[in-house]
Amino acid sequence: MEKIKNILKVREMTSFLCLIALFLIVGIVNPTFLQLDNIMNCLNGAVIYTLLAAGIAFVILVGEIDCSIGASLCMCAAICCSMIRDGSNFAVAIIVSIIVGALIGLLNGWGVAILKIPSLIFTVGVMGTVRGLVYVYTDCKWVENLPPYYTQIAQFKLGGLTGIYVFALVLAMIAFVITTRVRQGKYFIAVGDNANGANLVGIPSTMVKVIAYVLCGIFAAIAGIVYGTRVGFIQPSTGNGYEMTAIAACVLGGLSLTGGVGSILGSAIGAIIISSISRLLVFIGLSSDYNDAITGVVLIAIVVFDAVSQKKKVTKTRRERLLARTAALEGGKAE
Amino acid sequence: MSDKEKKTTQEPLIAYTTPGARIKSAFKSWEAFLFLLIVAEFVIFGTANSRFLMTRVIFGSLNDVMAVCIISLFVTFVLITGGIDIQAASILGLVSIIIGVGWQDFGLNIWVAALIGLICAIACGALSGFFIAYCGVQAMVITLGGSFLYAGIALLVSNLSQSAAYQGISGFPEYFTFLGKYKVGGVVPIQLVIFLLLAVIAYFILHKSKYGRKVFLVGTNKDAAEYCGINSRRVIMSTYMFSGMAAGIAGIITTAYVGSSKCDLGSTSTMSIITAVVLGGTLSTGGKGSVIGTALAALVVGILRFGLPLCFKVNSQYLDVPIGLLLIIVVVGRAVLASPFMQNLLAKSKKKA
Repeated sequence: MEKIKNILKVREMTSFLCLIALFLIVGIVNPTFLQLDNIMNCLNGAVIYTLLAAGIAFVILVGEIDCSIGASLCMCAAICCSMIRDGSNFAVAIIVSIIVGALIGLLNGWGVAILKIPSLIFTVGVMGTVRGLVYVYTDCKWVENLPPYYTQIAQFKLGGLTGIYVFALVLAMIAFVITTRVRQGKYFIAVGDNANGANLVGIPSTMVKVIAYVLCGIFAAIAGIVYGTRVGFIQPSTGNGYEMTAIAACVLGGLSLTGGVGSILGSAIGAIIISSISRLLVFIGLSSDYNDAITGVVLIAIVVFDAVSQKKKVTKTRRERLLARTAALEGGKAE
Repeated sequence: MSDKEKKTTQEPLIAYTTPGARIKSAFKSWEAFLFLLIVAEFVIFGTANSRFLMTRVIFGSLNDVMAVCIISLFVTFVLITGGIDIQAASILGLVSIIIGVGWQDFGLNIWVAALIGLICAIACGALSGFFIAYCGVQAMVITLGGSFLYAGIALLVSNLSQSAAYQGISGFPEYFTFLGKYKVGGVVPIQLVIFLLLAVIAYFILHKSKYGRKVFLVGTNKDAAEYCGINSRRVIMSTYMFSGMAAGIAGIITTAYVGSSKCDLGSTSTMSIITAVVLGGTLSTGGKGSVIGTALAALVVGILRFGLPLCFKVNSQYLDVPIGLLLIIVVVGRAVLASPFMQNLLAKSKKKA
């Protein structure tokens, strides 16, 4: 019993139960949904957001935010795809676009961690600049006519799951293990929880923040490459607003935007929830127009529920402490 | 407290210095810098293309950015309390579609529809504000959820109409579209007049009223404000209602100006709003900011947005680059100037002089 209680206390569990409840409700309304194929499709559809959310989870864990990932996804996708289209080596194209993503992340990290500019503002500036550069780079044209070997990567399947989703999931899992099991990986959560305290025990918190942004940029670049294989063309407006959806996925997965709370596993679960809502609507028989409204309601409901229960917990522990203290005092008097 | 005492306590320290020093400090202020930036823009764009200086061209182009200007005035309030508002753009679309559907499909008077839209906008702001102030959820998350929710509701409302969503609803009566097209004295567009009027109102609310002092105090130190007997929750919630109201007004004006109501109107302006507020010198951590700065910064961005394509033939889709760079340069510049190294350097150079 105690064990079950402890499992339920893990924040990712709430999101996971929410995901299962969502699937079950849809399954009750429309039993045809509960087939392996449909569920696999839900997972496969989450590949882009899994990568983006895993990347931005690093930044959210250290207590900052990154609004530029949608733009850097588009930039990296455009660079990678245009290089491949022009006959460049596949590996070279991937490496170049990952480097570009890392550089954008480095720029963000420099502004936020070293210059101490509020992250929202700096990354919004970077977002505008990068998005504009995408228009300059692509000359406002679509990048299309990609060679078939590149677009076929997305068709490759392992069991019901696509290869790219398994790849994204493995990456997210590696990141999860690193941030929770490896000593240096735990720095991210430590810095997000209490930057001054982390500094005092000798964690280079500025450096950790910069690394978080670089990792976020790299994940955005990988998401861009995957986007290219999945969709097969890049518009200059690709990825507009993806940053908000990725942040929402992290919040749904139990990460707190104040930093230090949650895990990358949670962000992967949140990504599945947020990207399958539109698919689930089809099975319930509602039009996809409900997508945004339901996403908003789910997001607000989860965070409000979380905040209220946290508040209750705090007052409860306070009362317990107070009772214990008064009991100790009275006990002292009796003696 | 007698009137006399009140006056001395409220007067800022600057009152004890000489008028010369006051002028000097005014020149050093951020607003003055922004004003110089506007003048510089006029000079540069004016010399590059004399068409820029025609009043018809200037006023005509400013119309396109008025929605952002109006919203950012009141989003300043939210940022001063230490929050953030990224839902205003969605509320704008919601108001626009409510006006359209209410007028066309429910046969309401256009003004009644506009009023309903405005009330809905305030209610949207109040809902988000309630969650932020009374449930203690982060403003960023709630307004992010709100931006999804209100945009989603706008889409659903647009489905109530017979016209297809992407076409929008148009054909409004002239006495409504005059809100966007009428020109005072044949020159100054009414939108600009409304913006200036709202700027004055916002200035008085924020900088001259008791409520404004409360907003600043809540932003500087929420606990201290609570101890002073200020109901900080109510103040925080009210700032979101203000920004919702501004989004509602902007929605009405934009609908009138564009002449059609669409649910995704203004959906791309979130980042422009934040840019204007931050460029205006408002601290996103709260406690500092001014309406005048925001108004000037919104104009700086707006003028840049139409000046570059007109005078330097910059493709309008590239415009994100200069505006993003402007934001980055400003914040980096301020951070560098505030760093201890530069402060030392400045102090040394002053000593030498």
